[in-house]
Amino acid sequence: MGFLELVNFYIIPGIVLGSIYALGAVGITLIFAILRYAHLAHGDLATLGAFVAFAVVTGIGVSPYAALPVAIVATALVAVGIDKVFYEHLRERPKIITVIASLGIALMVRAVVQVIWGVDSESYVRGISRPDVYFGLRIRDREIYTVLAMLALVGALYVFLSRSKWGKAMRAMSDNPNLALLSGIDNKTVIVLTWVIAGGLCAAAGVFLGINTELKSMMGWQMLLPMFAAAILGGVGRVEGAVLGGLIVGLAEELSVLILPSEYKAATAFVILLFMLLVRPTGILRGKVL
Amino acid sequence: MKSKILALTAGLLAATALASVPAKADVKIGLIGGVSGPIAAMAPAMISAAELAISQVNAQGGMMDGEQLVGVVGDSQCNPQGGTDAATKAVNIEGVVGMVGPHCSGAVLAASASVTVPAGIVMVTPSGTSPEITNIEDNDLVFRTVPSDDYQGRALARTLIEQGYGKVAVAYINNDYGTGLAQAFRAEFEAQGGEIAGFAAHEEGKASYRSNLADLASGGANTLVLFDYGDGTGLTMLRQALENGFFETFIGGDGMKSNAPINELGAENLSTFFASAPVGEASNSLETFNAAFTEAGGDPDAIFVTTAYDAAFMLALALEKAGGDKEGVSAALREISNGEGEPILPGEWAKAKELIAAGTAIDYKGAAGDHNFDENGDVPGTFAFFKVGNDGFEVVTQMK
Repeated sequence: MGFLELVNFYIIPGIVLGSIYALGAVGITLIFAILRYAHLAHGDLATLGAFVAFAVVTGIGVSPYAALPVAIVATALVAVGIDKVFYEHLRERPKIITVIASLGIALMVRAVVQVIWGVDSESYVRGISRPDVYFGLRIRDREIYTVLAMLALVGALYVFLSRSKWGKAMRAMSDNPNLALLSGIDNKTVIVLTWVIAGGLCAAAGVFLGINTELKSMMGWQMLLPMFAAAILGGVGRVEGAVLGGLIVGLAEELSVLILPSEYKAATAFVILLFMLLVRPTGILRGKVL
Repeated sequence: MKSKILALTAGLLAATALASVPAKADVKIGLIGGVSGPIAAMAPAMISAAELAISQVNAQGGMMDGEQLVGVVGDSQCNPQGGTDAATKAVNIEGVVGMVGPHCSGAVLAASASVTVPAGIVMVTPSGTSPEITNIEDNDLVFRTVPSDDYQGRALARTLIEQGYGKVAVAYINNDYGTGLAQAFRAEFEAQGGEIAGFAAHEEGKASYRSNLADLASGGANTLVLFDYGDGTGLTMLRQALENGFFETFIGGDGMKSNAPINELGAENLSTFFASAPVGEASNSLETFNAAFTEAGGDPDAIFVTTAYDAAFMLALALEKAGGDKEGVSAALREISNGEGEPILPGEWAKAKELIAAGTAIDYKGAAGDHNFDENGDVPGTFAFFKVGNDGFEVVTQMK
């Protein structure tokens, strides 16, 4: 197998897939760091975001990239709403109750998507798009946009967390919630901000998955495991770790076909997750929680 | 506000009261299908075909002494867990006395082993095609109105050899349906002198299959035989294979003969896509069904509608003969369609009911075939090879 073939059919799809995982994993890692539980409805929120964008695309006939901001805002609002209605009063209870509640939310969100948009596969744009060839590399525009958008969104988040007042408040909450509370940080606002960011990134992950494949009501749920693997691999609580983890999981899934029979591709994320939990549970970049 | 809440509560109460007091002796059958999941595009037509049979029964005198036949729809999600859940609910909560479905082979295997066979309920699947279903130890409780993929895989292999495809790669979904079909295909294709240049399973639900496809294409074949679902992973793989030019020609099994690829990829891109599927032999029965289903607002050319209709109608006939009791349904199902007796066409419920009451033997001639079950509860069948035309799928040739 030539070098170009390896890059075209294994590395590039792996990076694109990894970027999508990364967008979801950043949200998971933020919720883990600040609220300290695993949010199992994350995949289905991504599905919701993808379908909101679909409604905009079919409704007013714009491209899915133009619909992306709408999907991000709408999903962020839904995420905040879900927190207010379902998770807020569980805050003082053991975290496992919220985790299981989020599984219920996942089923509810999926059911809403199925009721509104049906259970058939949909796509933003009908037909197929063949890749352009740059120096032998076969790349589609949408793949470049996916990777660039991931880098831009995560970069903006990184700057926000390290520079702005509220970003610092979020990091303080993550380091030590009691101390943060004592120093006068409004934890309610921090939680709302967390959900806005997590929900928005989630929608972006869903939309880009939809742009690169199809929209299905199970699409987000099936991404959940690789996204968790990515968050844990990178180090829970570390945004840059989630990006790194996402890319590694995406590449590992695609490259696994070279070594393993292809039916074990889906198990790759599982293996990575188990291996990291056994060998280095803090993750590559030494996460702050766990 | 208060009055609104009161009204709502009263409404709910009324609804509960209505739901908890069913008409005295409804006869319930389960209609378990892949409403959500990878065959979501096919399931609605199949369920409405089964419901057509039920409405004909009720319009022509109902069951036994005029009881209504009720179809309880359940979602098997086209996977073993979903199938078991839906079947458990139908059997234990709804109290069905027979079941049409589940639609997918994996769901059939799981639901029969853990629910319907232990409960002594007859199951007739209209689309569970895996060869494994033949071998279930079922106490004669599992039947199907669709031929086994053992036939389809072999017929497809012979057709491809005839059409001059000497070298193909095979990708199949890693479940009972995909595995069974792929193995039957491979055995016959190799026996006929064809070359399999790649043979790999894949899991459903991944976002990218380009590495799988690159791996399969590295064997040098120009034709990909894809045993998957056209509304699920099959669509993703077909799209990625077309976009990247991994293969020139694509051949699908019955699961790929879905409208989803045409809707999402466009017929203009599918000129080299073909699919095989079971078809009803031209007969009076098929015409009768087609007319009735068209009148009911259905599309008689949709896949598996004939088998779904036949499964429901035969189950109703068997229940009538067995007196609505689940005990004798299995034997009755064989008796109403063993090739001997007064022929009954689709929709002829009143006539059949009279004959059963008089104790005369009847023989149901189904829309999809005669359905004379063999000892495993299987039926032989006919298949056709389809291409994508301007108005959906068109028959290229019959397959032998």
